[in-house]
Order: sequence, then structure tokens, then C-alpha cells
Amino acid sequence: MRTFRLMAAATLLMGTAIAGPALSQTSLDIAIIGEPQSLDPMMSTQDVVSIVTQHFVETLYTFDSSWNVAPLLAESLPEISADGKTYLIRLRDGITFHDGSAMDSADVVASLERWKTQATRGKGVADRIEAITAVDPLTVQISLNAPYAPLLSLLAFSNSAAAVYPQEVLGETLGAIVGTGPYRLVDHKPDQYIQLARFDGYKPRSEPASGTAGARAALVDELRFVPVPDANTRVEGLLSGQFDYADGLPVEAYDRIAASDAADPVLLDGFGWPVWAINHKAGLLTNRDIRKALQAALPFDDMMFAAFGDDKFFATEAAMYPEGWPWHVTNGTELYNINDPARAAEYLKAAGYDGTPLRILTSRQYEFHFKMAEVAKIALEAAGFTVDMNVVDWATLGQQRNDPALWDIYITHSPFLPEPALTDLYFSTSRLGWANSEKDAVLAAFTTETDTAKRLDLFGQLQGYLMDDVGFIKTGSFAALQGQRKGLTGVNLSPWPAFWNAARP
Amino acid sequence: MWRYVLKRLVGLVVVVFFVLTIAFVIVRLAPGDPAALLLGPDATAADAASLRERLGLERPIFLQYLAFLGGAVTGDLGQSIFFNQPVTQVLAQRAEPTVFLALFSLLFAVMIAAPIGIYAAYRRGSFLDQGAVSLAMLAASVPSFWTGLLFQRYLATDLGWFPSSGYGGPDAGFLERMRHLMLPSLVLGIVNSALILRFTRASMLDVLGEDYIRTARSKGMGEARVILRHALKNAAIPIVTVVGLTFALLVSGAVVTERVFNLPGMGNLVVNSVLRRDYPVIQGTLIVVATLYVAINLAVDLLYAVIDRRVKY
Repeated sequence: MRTFRLMAAATLLMGTAIAGPALSQTSLDIAIIGEPQSLDPMMSTQDVVSIVTQHFVETLYTFDSSWNVAPLLAESLPEISADGKTYLIRLRDGITFHDGSAMDSADVVASLERWKTQATRGKGVADRIEAITAVDPLTVQISLNAPYAPLLSLLAFSNSAAAVYPQEVLGETLGAIVGTGPYRLVDHKPDQYIQLARFDGYKPRSEPASGTAGARAALVDELRFVPVPDANTRVEGLLSGQFDYADGLPVEAYDRIAASDAADPVLLDGFGWPVWAINHKAGLLTNRDIRKALQAALPFDDMMFAAFGDDKFFATEAAMYPEGWPWHVTNGTELYNINDPARAAEYLKAAGYDGTPLRILTSRQYEFHFKMAEVAKIALEAAGFTVDMNVVDWATLGQQRNDPALWDIYITHSPFLPEPALTDLYFSTSRLGWANSEKDAVLAAFTTETDTAKRLDLFGQLQGYLMDDVGFIKTGSFAALQGQRKGLTGVNLSPWPAFWNAARP
Repeated sequence: MWRYVLKRLVGLVVVVFFVLTIAFVIVRLAPGDPAALLLGPDATAADAASLRERLGLERPIFLQYLAFLGGAVTGDLGQSIFFNQPVTQVLAQRAEPTVFLALFSLLFAVMIAAPIGIYAAYRRGSFLDQGAVSLAMLAASVPSFWTGLLFQRYLATDLGWFPSSGYGGPDAGFLERMRHLMLPSLVLGIVNSALILRFTRASMLDVLGEDYIRTARSKGMGEARVILRHALKNAAIPIVTVVGLTFALLVSGAVVTERVFNLPGMGNLVVNSVLRRDYPVIQGTLIVVATLYVAINLAVDLLYAVIDRRVKY
């Protein structure tokens, strides 16, 4: 027993008595869902990459709290020519990179050229860009071959971002991670932490902070992003006070966090939407009647409840953007949540359905995907479908969905993006291959129209086609749970939380 | 002796070659595309194909194997797809937490198991003996992740005695990093103590019935001396064997515990690398683990000769 006592004492001594690390005066430890694939936001569309890199890499534009485009490295919104083809962008004067060099139009042109040729979103717009030129050291001009309304949103988005780097570091891979943000990269130990320190040469904007727009104050000395792949470990770290902020928490932890003295839950309503992506290139769902049968049979209430467990965390709503968003329209929403097996069976009969299995490709990486599919399977079978669930890991899903011969539906999700055209599923060029001449004409008009009211009307028509032709299926909207230390203020709460205006209690 | 060691080392090379080949084939048989994972969910198939080309994943599989084999012979395990660093460098960074976690866990396991095992054998059939055997069964049957979650919640989150996870921040010195290993080591120590306890007890029971123990007692030798000097020394070989095997298993990566406590060790690395389809890191980790496993077993075998002079190689 003496040995036991000695051992217990030694363990506790190691556990408690050794002085903790000499922390800098102010730092924030932020638990993120995993190691970012890259620290170059131009080269990845992963949200976790955006969350981290937006603190040290900036774009010409960004979004305010209402998701309107606002200037960041640009002095103001661009001067757009009457024909919508020329964007004159004036840059802010006195901006320096973390290496001390001054930002000028040559850096911006070189960065945008790299974005156009290497970034997924940049490549998507490359064929519309005629030229990117430096007019003078602080002015850049983008010339298009046709008007393209989503361009500004693309330039503002932090995901596959049109990030601005010094031209000296640009190449297929970056020579160094050098940005203009309020924090600079100090150290990166993969799977352990990414350490950022305040950039003393940062020149904040003068406007008040709004969303990721306006002043960025860098109130704490250091930000440390800690990859913690296990969701439960993030919860424990938050509640034990080890983390000041934790992203991507399981909704089951809500009550425990709410009851704790250490942290508060952060519920982001209308965070995102689960998607049933439909294969229009091959297989069963190339037949519109079978797609209509699918739409009629799916019990969205039950699916969302099974997936999220409590109506605090989800809403069964058809509109592609929830109420309160500028893009909220109601066209076609009457076709949502029909939940009528008899009607579905009629569609199947009309299609001459022969019992060929409907192949649903899903994964348990995101448990709510799998739970939705489980509930849907029962309803689909009741309506007469034969269902073949293919449950694989996320990496396999990512590969198999590129082969249209392997699936009819795959399940994924998306945050609500500030501009509908950023969702590539609407386009016939996406891996879904949803081609419909009327829809495509509306979509083309939507991407070229610059008048906001007309664009909203066109988006309404687009949503109508989506519902009527069952291009893909939004099963509802869901909230995301994050958590923050009690008393922490100034975090920009969004799918990509930002910490430059955050202060510890 | 040296002949024996040489023979075992040749065996090690053969084992590593097979592991290397099997690892190479198996990771490529698994579906999933590292390029698509690197580029993110909105990357196009063309982007992924272009990255695969750049990473050399489009080359014929046999050429990839030959390149890998050639590199491995010279100690070059390739370049991590995800980290864009040499695999040997990635592994070197993960060695410290894994090795120290294994050492501390073994220390805890032996500190728990040895005294209880010896005492249980000494008081065979007593309440303590039966209690020890039951506890050992319990420790062996409770999964380490469950013990880990319980300890994490109650000892770290609620009581604040230990850090709940991780390996310390940028300022963490050696002692601070070791502090982060205490709770996971305790968990692994408890789980792994069961087998050592049972082996200690059984081995001691065998020895305590021997004539020379009775002789020692009849000469008036103190009980402590009889147990620790005469009995334990002769019971040591099976105990050392199980301790060695336990250490080899721990060094091979305490996957679940490293995951629960978010330790950046080799166990966590191999899980993440499988999810990321980082082929070179998976292969490299398996080679290192196989080598360590065989080497530790060899060391244990050689230790027999030190413990018992009658053992000759």
C-alpha cells in the first residue's frame, strides 16, 4: 500500500505541482477540428484552412456581418464599367507584408494570376477573365470578356481564396507564408499547434468591425490553433479551461456546456445545409420521374430529427437560404417535405421502375449524414424503392463520387455561402452534371446580371427549377455548436470564426 | 552469442522486408485519393488528377514500389504527401511522446502489478489474492478508451489535476510535456498492468512451491529476503517476457489512448495518415514499428542470459 501511496503522490505531483508554461500575457488557444491541409488558403477549399489562414493572409475584399462584400486590402469597392466588364480596383496605401515589403499592384496582379491558374475557384472563373493588369502602383484592373456578377464574392471568399502574397514568394507552392493580416505565422508543429503572433506593422481599416470587414485590432498577443480531431476531446478541453474556443462540437454536449462555469455554448443558427447530391450523368436518377419519386418519398422532418436530435439544432425548411438572408426566396418550396409514399409509388410506376437499387453513398465521418440516410432508406423502401446503402470512410467517398458509375446519391453538407453562385452544384459542369436548358439559361443570366433586385428574381427562378427538376436536395438547415470561455468577447461568430477582435476576460 | 544476434538481425531484415511490401500493397488497395483530400471538398476531378500526377501517384505501381524499396534501403522513407516533409523527419517528431508514453505506462503498470502480483501469490487464496485477480480481470476487460474518457472527464476537467489533452503549447518545456503524459500513462498503466499482474502471480506461485524456497526458510532466512531475493529472481523470466512484450506493444503506438488525449505520437499519426491516405507515412510508420517490435523482442531474449546464467546462446 505504501507503494501505491508513493505512486499516487508522484503522479499528482507531476500532474499539478510542476509550474505550467510561461504563457505570454494574452493568448488564445483555439481547438480546431483537425490539421489544416495547407496554410495556403488559395490551394484548399477546406473550411479549417480558411479559419486559420484568414488571420495572416488577406484578400482584396471580404464580407460584412450581412454578407455584403466590403473592401479589405482594396481601398473601396471597385469602379465597375457600365458594361460590367471592367473592374478598377484601388489598393490601400501603406500596407506591408509580414516580411516588411510594401504591397503594391504588382503583388496583387501576380497573386490573382496564380489564383486564376491554380485555385479551384479561380480556375472556375479564368475563362471569363481577359486580363489582370497593374494600372499604377496602387491600382489594378480586371477585364472580363462578359459581365460576371459573382466575381466580387469570389475575390472576397476565404475559401480557395484570392489571397494576396508578395510576388517574390509565389510559385506552384509558396516560398514562404507571408501575408498582410493582423497576425503573422510564427511556428507550425503539425498535429500540435499553429502559433500566430500579432503583426506590429498591421494597418487596420478605419471602419468599425462588421463581420470580417472593418477594423481588425489584434487584441491578444498570440493565437494558437490546436488541431483536436476527436470532438469529445474538444469538449473536455473547453470545459477544463484548456481552450478558449472550440469549433465543431457535438450537439449532445450543448446542455453540459450550458451548465458549466467555464464556458458558454455558441449556437450558430442557420449554419449550413445537408445535401443529397444527385447523379445526373448516369444511373437511375437520370430519369426525372424517379427523382420526383425520391423527392415525394423523403420524410425530411424525420430525417432531420434523427440527424440532430433536438429542434434547437435544425429546421425543416426548403428555401436555399433561411429567412433573414438577402437570398431568401420561396419558389418551389411547396414541393418540399411531401412525405407521401403513394405519390412516390405513382412516379415510380410512371418511370417504369424495375427495382434497380438506388445507390446511396455516405460516410460516418459526419454521423448526421449516416443517420439521415438510415431514416430515408426506410421511407424509400416503403415507397417501392430498392435501396443500396454504401457506407464508406470520407476519403473513399471523396474518390468514388468522382466516378458517376458508382453512385446515384452521395450525401454531404455545405455552410450557407454568401453568394449562391459559389455553390457549384447548380452548374452543369459540376460532378452532378445537372443540365437543364431552361435552368442553365436562368443560371447564365444570374451570373451575368449585376442589378441586385433582378438577381434575386433570377435566383428565385433558379430555386424553382431546382425543386421542380430535383437538381439536388437540400434536406433542411442545421445549426452548428461551438463553445467559448466565459467572458471571451469580440469573436466574429460564423462558420469561419475570426479572433482578431477577441479579448480574454 | 554474436552468432545468435546476427541470425536474429537477419530475421529482422526479412520481417521488415515483408512488412514493407505488405504495407505498400495494402495502403494502395484501400480506396480513397490523397490528392482529393488535400485539395478539399470543392476541388474538381481534374485538379485532383493534376495533383496526383505531381505527387507521382500516377506512375505504374511497380515503379512506385521499386522507388520506395530503393529509398528504404538507404534510409529514405519518402516524402509525406500531407506534411510535405521527409517521412523520417515526421516520425522523428512523433517519437518523443510515444516513447515516453510507453515508458511511463510501463512504469505505472509494473508499479501496480509487481507488488500486488507478488503479494497475491504469497497470500494465495486470501481475500487480497482473490481481489487482485478480479481487479486484473476488470482492468483487462475495460477498454482503454472508456477508462481514458472517464479519467479525462473527472480527473482533468472536473478536478483539474491534469491537462485534459495535448502535448503542451509552444512554450512547453520538457517537464511540461511530460506532465501532459501523466494521465494517459496512468490509463495505459492500469490497462496493461492486468497481464503483468497475472504473470507475476502465476510465476511466483510456481517458484514458491520449490524445494529451495523451503530450504531457505528452514535456514531461518527472513521472508522478505526469501520472496525478493530467491523467489522473485527465479520467477523473473516470464515476467520480463510479458513486460518486454507490453513495452513493444506500447511503443508500437497506443492508438486509442493517443487519440483520446490528442497526443502527437505515432499511434495518432498512423490513424490520421490512414484518414488522409498519406501512403509514405503509413508505410514508414509500419516499418519503424515492425523494426522496434522485433528489436525489443530480441533485447528481451538477450536479457534472459543476464537474468539466468544458465541461458546460453
